[in-house]
This record gives sequence, structure tokens and C-alpha cells, in this order.
Amino acid sequence: MSSPLPHPSGSERPDPTAADGQHAASPSPDTSEPAAAAAPGATVSWLSVFLSTATTVFLAELGDKTQLAALLLSAESGRPVVVFLGASLALICSSLVGVVLGRWLSTVMAPEQLELAAGVLMVALGLWLGRQAVLHLAPLPAVAAAALGT
Amino acid sequence: MLSLLLSSFVTVFLAELGDKTQLAIVSISGTSQRPVAVFAGSATALVLASLVGAAAGGSLSTLIPTDALQLAASLGFLILGGRLILRSRSAAKASAAGGAPGSPEVDP
Repeated sequence: MSSPLPHPSGSERPDPTAADGQHAASPSPDTSEPAAAAAPGATVSWLSVFLSTATTVFLAELGDKTQLAALLLSAESGRPVVVFLGASLALICSSLVGVVLGRWLSTVMAPEQLELAAGVLMVALGLWLGRQAVLHLAPLPAVAAAALGT
Repeated sequence: MLSLLLSSFVTVFLAELGDKTQLAIVSISGTSQRPVAVFAGSATALVLASLVGAAAGGSLSTLIPTDALQLAASLGFLILGGRLILRSRSAAKASAAGGAPGSPEVDP
């Protein structure tokens, strides 16, 4: 009658030499967290996902056309609170649409395929955004701008 | 008042559809396991950004170096995208070599 204690670590096979338990020939005792090593994307904490998303979106959106539209509306109407409420609701709805679309894509595409497509998309967005910012910061001469295809 | 609310909603919502931010949200949520965190983060950032824009009035670009911030955002996009591409490459390699015995298979 060996002790039933060490069995939840996954040693289910009947091994007659390991009847004494503790220091027996168990080859892999460190199988406590296999998921963390195998799937690094699945265990990212809620707060880090929240913060990285918020930072990226906030930086990308500052000074964008959303503000322009909101400013125009508020200048004409004289009711900035109402305009702000409407714009905020629209932004929340649009991000909800984006999240739902992403979840739907993740159900119809293979993960590696989707990661590759999303990565290419984000690199393209980064290049486009960076090009715009650089052109704003340091406007090129017209010749160079024409060479770049503007 | 309700019509103003509706008109601002429709204007901003249409301006946002297919915008780069929404594309980014789609790619982040599609490759992350935490859609609620992605939604909360993006919604907070969007509302905060428009609040900053509304509070600053027309002089936002004189208060904040928006171009430099957009440059930082583009670097963030590049880093996130490069990481995703690397991850998909390594995942493809792992699944290509998945026939080997003893490889850990994790099915969430």
C-alpha cells in the first residue's frame, strides 16, 4: 500500500519501482504550468492588455479627424456637452464593432494566419502613420515629396 | 438636443468606420485572448482623446506635439506588428515540427 499523495502530478502509470514515492525515478516533476510556457499570448494580464491598447489607440487618435468633427460640431452648436456625449457613444460603439469583428475573425481563421495578417496590417499602419507624422514634422521639398508618391 | 446628439453620433461613427484605429482594434482583439480588456482600453483611449481635443479647442497642436506623439504611435504599431509576425512565424514552425513526439500540445 503506497501513499496516494504524490499522484496528482500526472504520474498515472503503474510503476512498480516507484512504490516508495518521494525520491523515486519521476522524470518530470515540474509540470505545474505547462500552458504558460507553451502559449505566451494566452496568459497576458488584463491590465497589460488594457494599458497597451489604451496607449496605442490614444496616441494614434490624438489630433485625428474625430476631434476635428467634434470640434466643428461643438463650435456650431454651442452645446459642447451634448456633442461630446454623442461623439463618445460613437467611439465606444466603433471600438465595440472592432472588437467583435476581431473575435469573429479569430473564429474563422487559423491563429497563425490571423497573427500574420494582423502583424502585416499593423506594420503597414505604423509606416503610414509614421510617414504622415514625419511629413508634418519636417516637410520635404516638393520634388522629394513627388518622388515619394504624394 | 436629441437631434444634435444623434448628428454628432452619426458623424463620428461614420468617420470612425474603417479608420486606422478600428483596424488596429480589430487586429489587437483578434490576436488577444482578452477582448473585454481590449474594448475597455480602446474605448477609454478614444473618449479620453476626444475629451482632450474638445478641451483644448482648436489649439491642440500648439499645446501638444501631436506629430511627435503620432510618430511614437507609429513606432508602437511597428513593434506590435513585428511581434505578431514573429509570433506567427514561430507558431508556424512549431506546428510544422509538431509531428515530433513529446511536443506539448495546448488546446485552449
